[in-house]
Amino acid sequence: MSQIETFYEVMRKQGITRRSFMKYCSLTASALGLGPSFVPQIAHAMETKPRTPVIWVNGLECTCCSESFIRGAHPLAKDVVLSMISLDYSETLMAAAGHHAEAALEETIEKYKGNYILAVEGNPPLNEDGMFCIVGGKPFVEQLKHAAQHAKAVISWGACASYGCVQAAKPNPTQATPVHKVITDKPIIKVPGCPPIAEVMTGVITYMLTFDRLPELDRQGRPAMFYGQRIHDKCYRRPHFDAGQFVEHWDDDNARKGFCLYKMGCKGPTTYNACSTVRWNEGVSFPIQSGHGCIGCSEDGFWDQGSFYNRVTDLTQFGIEANADKIGMTAAGVVGAGVAAHAAVSALKAAQRKTQDKKEEA
Amino acid sequence: MTDRNLIVGPFNRVEGDLEIRLDVRDGAVAAAYTNSPLFRGFEMMLLGKDPRDALTITPRICGICSISQSAAAAFALADASGAVMPPQGMLIAAILHAVENLADHVTHFNLFYMPDFARPVYSAEPWHDQAVARFTAMEGSAARDAVTARAELLHIVGLLGGKWPHTLAIQPAGVTKTPTASDKVRIQTALRSFRRHLETTLYGAPVETFAALSSKDDLLNWTAGDAGLFIRIAQAVGLDDMGFGPGRFMSFGAYPLPARRAFESGVWGGTLSPVDTTQITEDLSHAWMLGDTAHPRDGTTEPDEDMRDAAYSWCKAPRLSGQTVETGALARQIIDANPLARDLAGHPSAFARVAGRLIEIARTQMLLEDLAAQIDPKDRFMGHWDMPASGIGEGLVEAARGALGHWMNFDGGKITGYQIIAPTTWNFSPRDEQGNAGPVEAALVGAPVRDGEETPIAVQHIVRSFDPCMVCTVH
Repeated sequence: MSQIETFYEVMRKQGITRRSFMKYCSLTASALGLGPSFVPQIAHAMETKPRTPVIWVNGLECTCCSESFIRGAHPLAKDVVLSMISLDYSETLMAAAGHHAEAALEETIEKYKGNYILAVEGNPPLNEDGMFCIVGGKPFVEQLKHAAQHAKAVISWGACASYGCVQAAKPNPTQATPVHKVITDKPIIKVPGCPPIAEVMTGVITYMLTFDRLPELDRQGRPAMFYGQRIHDKCYRRPHFDAGQFVEHWDDDNARKGFCLYKMGCKGPTTYNACSTVRWNEGVSFPIQSGHGCIGCSEDGFWDQGSFYNRVTDLTQFGIEANADKIGMTAAGVVGAGVAAHAAVSALKAAQRKTQDKKEEA
Repeated sequence: MTDRNLIVGPFNRVEGDLEIRLDVRDGAVAAAYTNSPLFRGFEMMLLGKDPRDALTITPRICGICSISQSAAAAFALADASGAVMPPQGMLIAAILHAVENLADHVTHFNLFYMPDFARPVYSAEPWHDQAVARFTAMEGSAARDAVTARAELLHIVGLLGGKWPHTLAIQPAGVTKTPTASDKVRIQTALRSFRRHLETTLYGAPVETFAALSSKDDLLNWTAGDAGLFIRIAQAVGLDDMGFGPGRFMSFGAYPLPARRAFESGVWGGTLSPVDTTQITEDLSHAWMLGDTAHPRDGTTEPDEDMRDAAYSWCKAPRLSGQTVETGALARQIIDANPLARDLAGHPSAFARVAGRLIEIARTQMLLEDLAAQIDPKDRFMGHWDMPASGIGEGLVEAARGALGHWMNFDGGKITGYQIIAPTTWNFSPRDEQGNAGPVEAALVGAPVRDGEETPIAVQHIVRSFDPCMVCTVH
């Protein structure tokens, strides 16, 4: 595949300066939690390795993942990803329409067979033979399977592709189904969140390009570097939690003072994501900073866990250092055998809810 | 010249999935049928949930206009519970919403609309080189400028709403964020920077100068900036001679403020009258939905799993007093009595629709600067509200693409009915029981189809002039 241009060549073609390119490399190194010594390594990889072709397909979804990218991202991060997908196939942004678009997809698959990454935004609905989401006259699930067949790896962007998201909420009218239940023979990286943070999305792609391997994943298949810590652990309001200072009503003085939102239903204590460190819209803020609790959108089943404004329950049994895997292990121990690894945290939540209900009855 | 049928889709550079069936006779579209091929069933999922959860679930209908959905849900809950936003809460909610709408219009112009003029089909035109340099999909210089400027504009949503898309800060009785004095300065800085972007690229002149245009003749003489390039191209390709809407416009009014909505509500059909939402119905005759024509307060969502032959879309057909209406930026500006928009109203072409957005971009920038200057960090941004166990509520807002309504019923603390009519549901509706075509279906009739064209370029100009958001259409 030596005829594929390098990443750096693509970026230069788009008018990105050497200086901006180096800045991107250092931004990425820090986003990935790597020291400055890795900057030349990243730069070298991007200059010498052929760019990774990406096919980006959209199923049942709301386009928020694409939007997070193109509207929220640092312009450099955005350029990186756009420069990759622009050359290949993306339904929302590409120039072609109709049959030309379908042809472009076929051509891309053929050209980069076995070598491309399939990025999936949204998921396939399986009810009614997939008729609730039709692309080019055929159910999306067929396009997905077809495109996945020759992919090197699959990235499930966002909660839709990773878990189903709100469109899979009871009664899940279309039987919206996460990608890993349909594609079972390819490595799948889940990048959940509704949407995921733009810097996390580019970070994952850059890591794969730089080191030529999949990032380390947690038990749920999420890159550990971004989903290794709870929102709660790095939350700037955490001291108020520890001090027992809580917002009780949206309009009380504690809300104005920026106290902890736990009693307003904040799911930060059970949610693994990078919001409280990387933050949103180019690092400006994150939901808790705007005075609203976390809704836990990077966790499986967040849409069907009771009201978003109900508080999560007693949390003292695990400490600051725990990560999703450790908690998963604990949960498996608590509720006994037969808990699928990917459901570990939600299982824990269910167990907690039971305990809480008992307490409240007592 | 042969008669033929065409199916156009998937449509790129629209938000979501869209398919259009065309009957072509004598080189022009004789009939069009719009199909929204994506159905998710949000209205079904909301049943049985805590009414407050609509604030979190409905924005996820659409990652483009999520603040519009969240505001409509908040207003519906406010209507049901009697919650009232304090003036400063209204102000922040208006800023959040207006920023999203402004970003949407700029996206549409640069990334979705103009790239069609860079296509090879126009390569013989004298303006083609300029269009290619500026607007080639994904690569043109305008896309870079716009995407960068927009990301910076959305810092405002970050500051006030914590994150975009799917912002959570708007509640029935105000906003959760208490902005600080430094937030106010940062918001004003971001707006100044966006103004610079508009004045150097889009208008090539002060925003006020464009906003002050008062007649179509003035507009057609505008030559500066990308707006000038658009007007030149539009005249060359005849955008003003295609894509006519029904001439009936509706707006629910945008951005409620203490005294009035910043852009007024109403219905325009040569004269202005108030919107009577009791006259809204959704017709299911050509949708794969079961049930009778009903007001959204009484409506249900039950997909027809047999996908009966008489129907051809998942989209219901909303009608106001039994008639189609067009909704969007042009409608808003006509109804808000902008003189230029009123001058365009009698000839509601594809050109008028894009021009309506250009007017609104300028006016929204000015509005936002005015609102930001009024932020008072010492005041209250949230009032007190209690959720009743049961209630009914109506939430009406204006998304970038037009009138958005939420109708909810709840009882025993659980949602018992929730119906949403999105702007694109109005514009891209299928036929109704009387066989009346939806606004876009009607606008496509007469569009020229060149020999051998599979996805006719004129059809694309017309469809994209409505800025469809198909993920909202059928939710």
